[in-house]
Amino acid sequence: MSSVRFEYASRIYAAGHRPAVDRLSLEIPDGELCVLVGPSGSGKSTALRMLAGLEPADGGKIFIGDRDVTDLAPKRRDIAMVFQSYALYPHMTVAQNLGFALRVKRMPREEVKRRVEEAAELLELTPYLKRRPRALSGGQRQRVAMGRAIVREPQVFCMDEPLSNLDAKLRVSTRTQIASLQRRLGVTMVYVTHDQVEAMTMGDRVAVLHEGVLQQVDRPLDLYDRPCNVFVAGFMGSPAMNLLPGKRVTDGVEVLGTVVPVSRALGAPGANGAVTAGVRPEGLQLAGHSEPGTIPVTVEFVEELGSDGFVYGTVDTGERITVRSPGRSHPSVGSQVGVRFEPAQLHVFDGESGERL
Amino acid sequence: MSGGLITLDDLPGPVTEPRKIRRPFVGSALFFAMIVIGIVMLYPFFFMIDTSLRSESSFLNGGGHSLASWRALDSTLPWRQQLVNSTIVCLLSIGIILTCSTMAGFAFAKLRYPGASAVFVAIIAAILIPVQSIVIPAYVDIAQWHLLTSYTGAVLMYSAIGTPFATFLMTVYYRSLPDEVLEAGVIDGLSYPTIFLRIALPMSVPALATIFVLQFIQIWDDLLIGLLFLQNPSERTITVGLGALAAGRTTDIPVLMAGSLVSALPAIVVFLIFQRFLINGLTAGIGR
Amino acid sequence: MTAPAFLLVAVILGWPMLQAFYYSLTQWDGITATYIGPSTYTHEFHDPAFWRVLQNNLLLILAIPLALVIPLGIAFLLDTHVFGWRIFRSAYFLPTAISWVVIGMVAERFFAANGQLNSMLSAVGLGFLSTDFLSGERSALLAVALTFVWSMIGTNMIIFLTGMATLDPHLAEAARVDGASGWQTFRRVTVPQLKRFIQFALMMTLISAFTALFSLIFVMTSGGPGYGTTTLEFFVYQTAFAVGQFGTGAMLGVILFVIMATVGIVQIVLLRTKE
Repeated sequence: MSSVRFEYASRIYAAGHRPAVDRLSLEIPDGELCVLVGPSGSGKSTALRMLAGLEPADGGKIFIGDRDVTDLAPKRRDIAMVFQSYALYPHMTVAQNLGFALRVKRMPREEVKRRVEEAAELLELTPYLKRRPRALSGGQRQRVAMGRAIVREPQVFCMDEPLSNLDAKLRVSTRTQIASLQRRLGVTMVYVTHDQVEAMTMGDRVAVLHEGVLQQVDRPLDLYDRPCNVFVAGFMGSPAMNLLPGKRVTDGVEVLGTVVPVSRALGAPGANGAVTAGVRPEGLQLAGHSEPGTIPVTVEFVEELGSDGFVYGTVDTGERITVRSPGRSHPSVGSQVGVRFEPAQLHVFDGESGERL
Repeated sequence: MSGGLITLDDLPGPVTEPRKIRRPFVGSALFFAMIVIGIVMLYPFFFMIDTSLRSESSFLNGGGHSLASWRALDSTLPWRQQLVNSTIVCLLSIGIILTCSTMAGFAFAKLRYPGASAVFVAIIAAILIPVQSIVIPAYVDIAQWHLLTSYTGAVLMYSAIGTPFATFLMTVYYRSLPDEVLEAGVIDGLSYPTIFLRIALPMSVPALATIFVLQFIQIWDDLLIGLLFLQNPSERTITVGLGALAAGRTTDIPVLMAGSLVSALPAIVVFLIFQRFLINGLTAGIGR
Repeated sequence: MTAPAFLLVAVILGWPMLQAFYYSLTQWDGITATYIGPSTYTHEFHDPAFWRVLQNNLLLILAIPLALVIPLGIAFLLDTHVFGWRIFRSAYFLPTAISWVVIGMVAERFFAANGQLNSMLSAVGLGFLSTDFLSGERSALLAVALTFVWSMIGTNMIIFLTGMATLDPHLAEAARVDGASGWQTFRRVTVPQLKRFIQFALMMTLISAFTALFSLIFVMTSGGPGYGTTTLEFFVYQTAFAVGQFGTGAMLGVILFVIMATVGIVQIVLLRTKE
């Protein structure tokens, strides 16, 4: 088991184009489950494939433990990988799939058998060892793919969107299984996903990438509470954070016609004090229409989730906002409500650079 | 459906509900029509079987059935030796075709190297060359290499003629294989040649079967190449042996029909076993 | 990894093709070649036998519509999944496995003066049509053409059946709901959607007509009577290996190549423009 370190690692597919991964520096300590998350094209998969050795690094270095693996072939990096499509060998049985890498390494038959049976036991695959992948369900295939990684007892697990081919319900149960498995084995895991819920629930730490550039690495709640820029703020959390144009004034931020007081010290915004004010749906409170200090909002749509609900509405000036509405009594569509900011939950970003102030 | 190959489960037949014939009269009329077409299509088999079971005089003048012609077959056509020859030539040629086309197809589909597309176009373009256009110079070349009096010349010809289309098929097939499976091989510690041998090749068995049956029928049934490139009568294939007899015109027809049946039987067996793969091969050029 | 395939194709197909271009400009008996130049071609174009052979090819092409329409109809009938359709499908497809040599032998007896066709004709009272088909130039070509059509039925039927399997059955149902009869549905809905498959079958049949009939002609008529059933591909063989004029044979091969390459390129262009 080992740590993983990217040092200014870059991947450039075509000269003159934006790098797929741009000078990525990231240190993942031994035994951590680190999630790389971002929209498609963010470079998260490319970064993982660079770690696995499936993509070369066009610049920078990659370390596993103290070893510089930048120019090593995948098989010499001591990593295992689980692919999005699972990439099981269709012509081999489950047992053969699990043991294949070990056989390639010329491990003694007995040892291979022992490890395959252990892994099968762990993943509840024992009854299926003689079957071919074709005869398995999606969830079982996923577990075979996991097992193929486990039997190798590698230093690092590379997971490339391993749950995206499962249906919603299975995905939820499998993600907890993977996380607990990782904790039990104590192995370093780099996990790529585009699903921010998966990232939040699984990761010890989450690294957010956007257009090849690492935006922020933090523990999930820190990421949620203190996004470092507008992109991370908008990407993490569902429904997404309300991002509204605002202006820095002496005792706070002016947004949607009201001034929200900000007690903490704010950095200085760029040109003429323009800022982006961010507030999560639960950072807004519903109030009666035309109560003092509220912003009038016309309700356009209400999403009921049972335990609570989300109100989607439009402000007079045209901005759309989302407000969490606790409980079951929600305003009706078409009605006018007032919305109040909770000052402590306001995020303020520079209007130009998008950086947190 | 990715790639150009039709998958195995994709045999002709409507995807969902067929058009049901509900009126019994139409259904029976249709069935009757199918029988009539069947008689037309299978006529040569009836004819061959019936004729081979007659002696020459009973064929010409009418009369009963007998096994006389089958007994006479041995002295007219060395069919045992010729069946062996056909089998050897077929298997050697198909072996070469499969070796060349799988390697090339894998390289074209999954490896990137400079000039690949030019080499690909060069090989595929050869599909357009009719055998008759090159057969004369090739005959003279191979005669100069002294290869007309062994299997080698014919095997080389058959291999070269079969390789372009087989390469096309394999390239299309390998393109449809997901990269991730091959990358899993890389992660598992395989080199590219071993990925080809231990992962790609076993995964392409359906495509190999398609090439096998297409080529088997083509080579087994061929006359022109065998006629020219197998100069020793002892190396002739059964089709060439029959063709040479038939062109003679003086031969005993019932015996010829018995020989025809013998020659057709292996091809029919291969056809029946590999029918679905043959269908894949015939329609692979459409590309979907 | 592409080297074996490339070498094999280059040495056994590519190089002889280039040689054929060269030898087509020579007088050549297979051993010594004397360079003559492009006049070999103009000389050939003045040979009435050459035009007669091309004419035979053209007449064979006239049979191609039959080789498409018949299997198309059969495929349509089979696609109704009439009782036992899988067996019928295999039976109709089975002749594909049979050598042209065997087919040619059977066809020769079938069309012979005392053959089954004539017996059948007199049995149904059409005895006045009886003739020794293979001894008349035109009737022999007709016999070859009919045999050719017959042997293309299996392959083309399979191509069309495969095509029909890809169609969305809801379209035919929609047409039915719109009040179209079975024939109208076939004509206006099924056939237009099969265009790609029909085009493919047309090409395969055309290529077969030009390059796959050697064995059939060799066994059935030997190209005769006269030049009655000699097609270009058979002419190549005869000129070189029966007459010994290797140079002229090579030239005829080049002409055949040019025709087939044109057909092939037209096909590729047609497919490209569709996309």
